[in-house]
Amino acid sequence: MTTPRDTGSRSGGTARGGGPRTLAEELRARPDGALGGLLRARPDLLNPVPGDLTQLATRAGTRASVLRALERLDRFVQQTAEALAVAPDPCPYGTLAALMTGDAPGDPLVAEALPRAVATLRDQALVWGTEDRLRLVRTARELLAPSPAHPSPTGLGPTVAEATAGMSPGRLQQIIAAAGLPGTHDPVSAVAALTALFEDRVRMGELLAQAPAEAAAVLGRLLWGPPYGTVTADPAPHLRWLLDRGLLLPATPGSVVLPREVALHLRGGRAHRAPEPAAPDLAPATPHSAHTVNAAAAGQAFTALTTVEELLTSWESDGPLVLRAGGLSVRDLKRTASFLDTTESAAAFWAELAYAAGLLASDGEVDERYAPTPAYDDWLHLPAEQRWARLATAWLAATRCAGLAGGRDAKSRPLNALGPDLDRSPAPEVRHRVLALLATLPPGTSVAPETLLARLHWERPPRTPAEPGAEDLRTRLARWALTEAELLGVTNRGALSAPGRALLGPKDMESEDAAPAHPHPLSDAEAGACAVRAAAALAPLLPEPLDHILLQADLTAVAPGPLKRPLAQMLSVLADVESKGGATVYRFTPASVRRALDAGRTAADLKAFLTAHSRTPVPQPLAYLVDDVARRHGHLRVGAASSYLRCDDDAVLAEILADRRSAPLRLRRLAPTVLAAQAAPDELLEGLRAMGYAPAAESAEGDVVVTRADARRTPPRTAPAPVPEGPPVPDETLLGAAVRAIRAGDMASTAERKQAAAPAPAGGGLPRTTSAETLATMQAAVLTGSAVWIGYVNAEGAASQRVIAPVRVEGGFVTGYDHTADEVRTYPLHRITGVAELADEHA
Amino acid sequence: MSCLIVQSDKTLLLEVDHEQADACRRAIAPFAELERAPEHIHTYRVTPLGLWNARAAGHDAEQVVDALVTYSRYPVPHALLVDIAETMDRYGRLKLVKHPTHGLVLESTDRPVLEEILRSKKIQPLVGARIDPDTVAVHPSERGQIKQTLLKLGWPAEDLAGYVDGEAHPIELAEDGWALRPYQQQAVDGFWHGGSGVVVLPCGAGKTLVGAGAMAKAKATTLILVTNTVSARQWKHELVRRTSLTEDEIGEYSGTKKEIRPVTIATYQVLTTKRKGIYPHLELFDSRDWGLVVYDEVHLLPAPVFKFTADLQARRRLGLTATLVREDGRESDVFSLIGPKRFDAPWKEIEAQGYIAPADCVEVRVNLTDSERLAYATAEAEEKYRFCATTATKRRVTEALVARHKGEQTLVIGQYIDQLDELGEHLDAPVIKGETSNAQREKLFDAFREGELSVLVVSKVANFSIDLPEATVAIQVSGTFGSRQEEAQRLGRVLRPKADGHEARFYSVVARDTIDQDFAAHRQRFLAEQGYAYRIVDADELLAGDEA
Repeated sequence: MTTPRDTGSRSGGTARGGGPRTLAEELRARPDGALGGLLRARPDLLNPVPGDLTQLATRAGTRASVLRALERLDRFVQQTAEALAVAPDPCPYGTLAALMTGDAPGDPLVAEALPRAVATLRDQALVWGTEDRLRLVRTARELLAPSPAHPSPTGLGPTVAEATAGMSPGRLQQIIAAAGLPGTHDPVSAVAALTALFEDRVRMGELLAQAPAEAAAVLGRLLWGPPYGTVTADPAPHLRWLLDRGLLLPATPGSVVLPREVALHLRGGRAHRAPEPAAPDLAPATPHSAHTVNAAAAGQAFTALTTVEELLTSWESDGPLVLRAGGLSVRDLKRTASFLDTTESAAAFWAELAYAAGLLASDGEVDERYAPTPAYDDWLHLPAEQRWARLATAWLAATRCAGLAGGRDAKSRPLNALGPDLDRSPAPEVRHRVLALLATLPPGTSVAPETLLARLHWERPPRTPAEPGAEDLRTRLARWALTEAELLGVTNRGALSAPGRALLGPKDMESEDAAPAHPHPLSDAEAGACAVRAAAALAPLLPEPLDHILLQADLTAVAPGPLKRPLAQMLSVLADVESKGGATVYRFTPASVRRALDAGRTAADLKAFLTAHSRTPVPQPLAYLVDDVARRHGHLRVGAASSYLRCDDDAVLAEILADRRSAPLRLRRLAPTVLAAQAAPDELLEGLRAMGYAPAAESAEGDVVVTRADARRTPPRTAPAPVPEGPPVPDETLLGAAVRAIRAGDMASTAERKQAAAPAPAGGGLPRTTSAETLATMQAAVLTGSAVWIGYVNAEGAASQRVIAPVRVEGGFVTGYDHTADEVRTYPLHRITGVAELADEHA
Repeated sequence: MSCLIVQSDKTLLLEVDHEQADACRRAIAPFAELERAPEHIHTYRVTPLGLWNARAAGHDAEQVVDALVTYSRYPVPHALLVDIAETMDRYGRLKLVKHPTHGLVLESTDRPVLEEILRSKKIQPLVGARIDPDTVAVHPSERGQIKQTLLKLGWPAEDLAGYVDGEAHPIELAEDGWALRPYQQQAVDGFWHGGSGVVVLPCGAGKTLVGAGAMAKAKATTLILVTNTVSARQWKHELVRRTSLTEDEIGEYSGTKKEIRPVTIATYQVLTTKRKGIYPHLELFDSRDWGLVVYDEVHLLPAPVFKFTADLQARRRLGLTATLVREDGRESDVFSLIGPKRFDAPWKEIEAQGYIAPADCVEVRVNLTDSERLAYATAEAEEKYRFCATTATKRRVTEALVARHKGEQTLVIGQYIDQLDELGEHLDAPVIKGETSNAQREKLFDAFREGELSVLVVSKVANFSIDLPEATVAIQVSGTFGSRQEEAQRLGRVLRPKADGHEARFYSVVARDTIDQDFAAHRQRFLAEQGYAYRIVDADELLAGDEA
């Protein structure tokens, strides 16, 4: 395998007109348009702008960039790249085609699609060279070529040459002898002979015809990969038969591998079990009429608006608390879901939608809560179709994924709605692609979600196959996009609605084949234009807001459609909503009427309002209810006063009230014999005395309070405690602790250090040892159970000396009994400047 | 613009003044329960029970969805349609059928469902051996129990096991000079076609005749269960008059008499009498080979009767009621044990056809005197209703109302005996209460019917099934707290068609600003929802108007 590459590159270098020698050279030869295409497809190459084409080629060959480019290829182009990675390098087009189609006549579809795949790879600078010398850039080859750690998606193993790399020449000779080949002089020719045998279909067929039945079964098992199998030290005869002939080659001790050439022979030359040359067809499911879909989607769009409004209105006064880690608590989400009468995942979606549209945010107070933003007020004043367009464009462009809420992240921490870590950068692109694919179908036509997902999967296969049972991120994103689009009314019954179609840029309409040319959905200006078109498409579908209701004698009002805003607001105060949907049913109750009266309406107002807006006469029981509640409303009055003034002689009170000097007391007549004052009782007394009256204070029970000047007392107080001479006698515990502390400190400062362990620090400074020594000494101390003397720098940078008896050393920490602090402590090893053993008598 | 609006809580709003309203009503009535029928917009509710009722009546999900989509003014949420289709699909996956060799078996067309329900602890004791993967034997005695349990599990079983014919007995309708009204005939046919089930008709719409019609179809011995003795006599009287049955063929099984005849009328009370922990009168069910069991006033069926009914699943069962609303919420037991709703007609519709009298319902608000208000405020919580319901002011207003309708047949209905006695004394009218002997009751009722008596004071013993054809005014002074069905029954007293087509009046005297008012509001809600709107008037105005 190495030989052809060497000769190839050499001949490429020397032969004039034999094709470019390097990728840079080929890029240099490409027209500007092609380079532009490359940069558009791989925008990461532009960051920063490369100095010259050599730099560009180098950057295009970096691992990160190649990985990114490979990930963005569709299934068939990836398969082609994978086939190239297992083909000789450089590889003539014919060889590649044989790998893709197989020996036999081959699949015409594959043969037809292959030029496109090669062209795509070439456009993306992943493949270069002339048709007869196609070369996959080296990084891509490394990434895609099979190795024991990263089995190739093709399921092919290493070549004979690679697999026999470390094999003894003697063993090689045995193998070729067993395979029925004449002996050779050197291992290289032996490998070449074996490879030639395996690649020769006729001779190989003859060889395999002799294989025992079980051996054929073993080959069949390894055929489509993974190509590795395990063998015991003493393999069964049929395995022995295969090993002898090099049909299985040892990989590591105890395991064998099926060489690539053998597998290819058995596969009829095909690199892939199932090449997928064409994108899965989006077979339309039951079509609905475009009218039905649009009407129902508009209904859902309207529901979306009312739901968001309902949610934010309820959070206006009593928004949920923001968790310390950010986001909405599970309990609040549950409450919101039950309030909106929906599932928790849908509730999370609505909250996230409002958040993405900038209608909802945390208020940033100390006691942080979620509340609508000022933008919400502006939003409310927009016509319904524009409100919807705002939400829909925000949804389309958001990287936040409500679908993640309620799950757990990689560290199995819960992910909360509105919380951090809900951003997934591919989300907008996936949403866009889902809608764009739906847009390729005729209006009103839907497609089964699984079909759509299969198509997306083909367009951008996940690089690492997902674990069984788990779906890769893009598939999950696409699923969420489908459900969310349905909730928003962008789609209905799985088909794209007219407003939903308008949300997409004009370019998306055309791009049926292949992945979208521009992975970043839309610029702001484009999105704005789309929003305008979507709003225009939605407007005629929405029901006209009504200005009337129907009142009924069972004290209900029915709004047979959406109401104009002022009417809806007034009604929501005056009555309780009983049922929602296309229409709204309101119920009048004494409490709801009282609420309206509390809001400053009068009974006459309310009746006039009802008469004005009702298509039907106001039923007698309703008018009666309003009057009856109004009759009692405000019958009892509550107010605040600081003190009162009463006098049986109402003339005196009238006199006081008339007196200008009483103005600062802010008196108000409540009844002929009672005045309420805003002044405190003592001020009132003072004021009245100043005016020449002789008022008496009254207690809460109505008795006259007799006041005397000398009656002043402090609140209850305790007598002062005697102050003895000197400090109090300490108790035994305290004494014990003090002694221990003193001893420990003493030990730390006076401990004699073993000279052998480290040079004694000058002037009693911190001991210094290398980290290896520190570790070794610590570990030794753990084993011997002895105490050591350490220098330690704490988090603030303050250095100290401590005597500790280490108990455990692990994970960069040492845990031990600290004699200085008299407790068990843990120190990070990197903070320990050095360690010294104590003199033996202390240990 | 169509006439139907589908709400997200699965209620349907029907605009009755719309030209398509009738067609729409016919389309949705099979699966949606009429919940409220006020003047402009009727509310129907789609419930699982309603959908299964529709399935039982032979409608499929497609028809339901089609009806909604056709008549809905706004697009119907797709999720709701899917939900409806799924719910309806649950009915009939399990079937109770008669197996030629294994007797009663539960059969499934959907094996996972059978597996699921067989894993339920509640089902396990009810079933026997597994006959094949799709069939399991059921103990015949558990036929009712298993239906009840399956319904609770959300997989209602279709009962196709059929009925025993019972002991044949010739019964014919004696249609001399009268005939079953069209809706009565429809109800009988609907019931007979379905095998068992419930017929919902308003009070005064002639439920007894539906019963008689069903008996004439069955032509078999019949057990009729009624609420009380007076009602039992009523049935007997009516059956003798309307059918070929004679007095001797009809037995009464009550507290006083224990007759078992080809047609036996028993009261719920005697059946549910418990002595030493057993129900001694249960053997009545087995005493004859009944071909038909009729339950009058199904909404009052006491809990023990449900238990006996579970054992009667092999007999045809007919439930009669004015409303499926049960104060105890056991509608699902009615569905599984007696059967699905087979026929219903809203009150207003029958009134419009002239079969029941129109009624003017008036709530009279009475201002209590200051001393009464003070006494009310200080009354114990449990005494509050009794106090405000029986105040002297209310009595005076009641007297004034009676005086106002002098010469008309007037019923005064109340809850508290001492209040009624007092009223009787003041009005100089006889009082019928629990202790009044049945003979005395019948005598008084006859006198009232003949017009010899124009005012009758009755306690709640007269709530049900007494026939007072010429009562044109009813005055309700107190009731069983907020009972909605009691209110409906009492209104039913005045809804029988009057000879002169006179409009009936129903007064409810209520003390203002008391708990009485709250209960009244609750009681009236049902009637208001049936389209019988209350007017509310102040007693002072009403009486002042009289004097003027």
